[in-house]
Amino acid sequence: MTEIRWHSRAGQGAVTGAKGLGSVVATTGKQVQAYALYGSAKRGAAMNAYNRIDDEPITNQETKMFPDFVFVIDPALAFSDDITKNDKPDTQYIITTHLSKEDLIAQIPALQDKADRTYVVDCMQISLDTIGRAMPNTPILGAFMKISKMYELDFFLENMKKVLAKFPQKIIDANMDAITRAYNEVK
Amino acid sequence: MSKGLEGNDNRGARELGAEEKVGWDEVTQGVVLHSFVGESKNAAFLKPEERVYNDFNSYTATVASWRIIKPIYNRDICIDCQNCWVWCPDTSIISRDKQMLGIDYDHCKGCGVCVEVCPTNPKSLLMFNEAADNDAELENWPVKEKKAK
Amino acid sequence: MAKEFELNEVEVWDGNYAASQALRQAQIDVVAAYPITPSTPIVEGYGAYVANGYVDGEFVMVESEHGAMSGCVGAAAAGGRVATATSSQGFALMTEVLYQASGMRLPIVMTVVNRALASPLNVRGDHSDMYLGRDSGWIQIDAFNAQEAYDLALCAFRIGEHLDVRLPVMMHQDGFTTSHKAQNVYPLKDSIAYEFIGKYIPVDDMLDFSRPVTHGAQTEEDWHYEHKAKQHKALMDSRTVIDDVFADFKELTGREYKRVESYMMEDAEVALVLLGSSVETAVLAAKQLREEEGLKVGVVAPRCFRPFPYDLVRDALDVSSLKAVCCLDKSAPGGAMGALFNEVSAAAYSTKARPMMTNYVYGLGGRDFAVDEAKRIMKEQKAHADAGHITTDIQQFSGLRGPKLGFFKTRRD
Ligand code: SF4
Ligand code: SF4
Repeated sequence: MTEIRWHSRAGQGAVTGAKGLGSVVATTGKQVQAYALYGSAKRGAAMNAYNRIDDEPITNQETKMFPDFVFVIDPALAFSDDITKNDKPDTQYIITTHLSKEDLIAQIPALQDKADRTYVVDCMQISLDTIGRAMPNTPILGAFMKISKMYELDFFLENMKKVLAKFPQKIIDANMDAITRAYNEVK
Repeated sequence: MSKGLEGNDNRGARELGAEEKVGWDEVTQGVVLHSFVGESKNAAFLKPEERVYNDFNSYTATVASWRIIKPIYNRDICIDCQNCWVWCPDTSIISRDKQMLGIDYDHCKGCGVCVEVCPTNPKSLLMFNEAADNDAELENWPVKEKKAK
Repeated sequence: MAKEFELNEVEVWDGNYAASQALRQAQIDVVAAYPITPSTPIVEGYGAYVANGYVDGEFVMVESEHGAMSGCVGAAAAGGRVATATSSQGFALMTEVLYQASGMRLPIVMTVVNRALASPLNVRGDHSDMYLGRDSGWIQIDAFNAQEAYDLALCAFRIGEHLDVRLPVMMHQDGFTTSHKAQNVYPLKDSIAYEFIGKYIPVDDMLDFSRPVTHGAQTEEDWHYEHKAKQHKALMDSRTVIDDVFADFKELTGREYKRVESYMMEDAEVALVLLGSSVETAVLAAKQLREEEGLKVGVVAPRCFRPFPYDLVRDALDVSSLKAVCCLDKSAPGGAMGALFNEVSAAAYSTKARPMMTNYVYGLGGRDFAVDEAKRIMKEQKAHADAGHITTDIQQFSGLRGPKLGFFKTRRD
């Protein structure tokens, strides 16, 4: 079982991202869960989204999880949210930030001893450059593919295209660029 | 505390300044939330910043981080008509003795209603990106728009 | 003609979307509904199908849930296939009309997304609304995940509309835990789903002008009782129809449903009885405890809340090794033992083993139900079993902050 917790603000697309990841995973015969927990369902309020991925049907309906991966898709939440909550010794962190990994870790006490499993990528800038607005939810998945090695990039892109099929071609292409850039830029 | 339970994480509580979550024996009867700590007979005669608000009063909570755009107020143009004060849905326009003083950025959610209702030309309130620098924007305030004939 | 909706073999849907797809496939004549969290997306989704030509029937916007159920009653009496969706306060507002619908024997289908009842106001899932409906004369079926929300919504039409039943059916799922959690769902093609449900057969419809009828007549002490008895018998007798529909559904899809689901009960020494999405968590906990500690734990889950499967609950608990059973109620009992505890205890009383029965209230207002907490409760049952008597209060509270709260003890001399 792979468990992922997203830290996001309502409106940044974490739920869409979690469902998108779920849809790709489901096409490969795996089982998924994608859900969210809102503190307050207002745009801009901090929230969590979650994924569970397994080969067997998933019956755990508990909300809390001990994540294998934590995605922080809003730069400010790395500082204000309890991102290491229910941490495991091998939990990996993928954090959206314009800072270098060293500078980021230096400012977040909870990450001090986790440098070897913390990764940074500027999904905000990447999405602004490619999609044209701050939509960090798809690029973070590119970074995740690199770190987790869950699927080859090309395979993931192909399947993600199908998930996004209802959007105009321009938006699909922009998302593919964003995923690819994050895949290449995550450190 | 809510040990081991994710259903209600502490985020909302922290924003409300009520981190210690009490048990069933200590919560109030009938879910009432007292506005002030202790005796508060004269609260109506005090300014908000002088009142002793309870942790659960939304006055003590900040939702500034929810805002994506913010209003900036220009004292030089304002005619103190109080329109913004009347219309703001979050009582985030600070006004004293019918004089507009500014914006309560702890509670303003950036809806832009105050800007809509401001009658001056140019407007005395305009919306900017949350990260914008207030002083710089005030320097560059737009000038009066000429009505097209 | 309604357009066909392209579906993949596997979709990632949440419970709300799954239910709205099932409603679409049923080709309903009238949906009268009013939105309320967390069931809003069902109504919203259905509205979109109507707007985009996937549904031929009518979508009626109403001013309240009372209006919604009234509209459903009118449309069903007129002779249409009818459905709606609601939750919580909306459900409460409908209550008056729920009794009318069942008394008038109108096979309306309602997808209920379970949510707490105020006060305190709360939008999260618990079973307060489901329990509120338990004497209303409706059939109540409970889905534990998104796939089941889809499957059982299809079955609900077949069951309620069956000529031997003609009763309204609620298909329940848990607010947020199921309604807003996307999981793998394997839908049927439109034509196959519709073929399974079948064409609607009107009975005593008001629009049949060759045979005019009056619906909703008044009866006093001379008639009322007989009508109520007949209605109760229809509800009790619906058990065999439910079994048949589930059997047909299994033949079609391979997915098996029973009025009472029971897991690992063959050799169980202790068992949990509960409803809704927590069943899945409890089954996981039981499997882990069996592996980790060799504890013989089973789980029993009434899939059908009404008619209450007294017979099958008894069968499930009639295990000679069974010593202690805990019933978990996800609704504030309001000055009583939990309803599930009372009903399951009545069934257990007629088993040979007569296990010790205890009650937990849990999960109110969406409080998370953890695998570890399920295990703790299971181990507590084992402690009762080992001691030979109930070692705690009979009614306790799971996941509650504050000093331990409990009521009633077994009398021991
Ligand atoms: S932006 Fe909205 S909330 Fe903020 S001060 Fe103006 S009216 Fe009030
Ligand atoms: S509406 Fe404009 S002019 Fe009137 S008080 Fe507010 S800021 Fe000043």
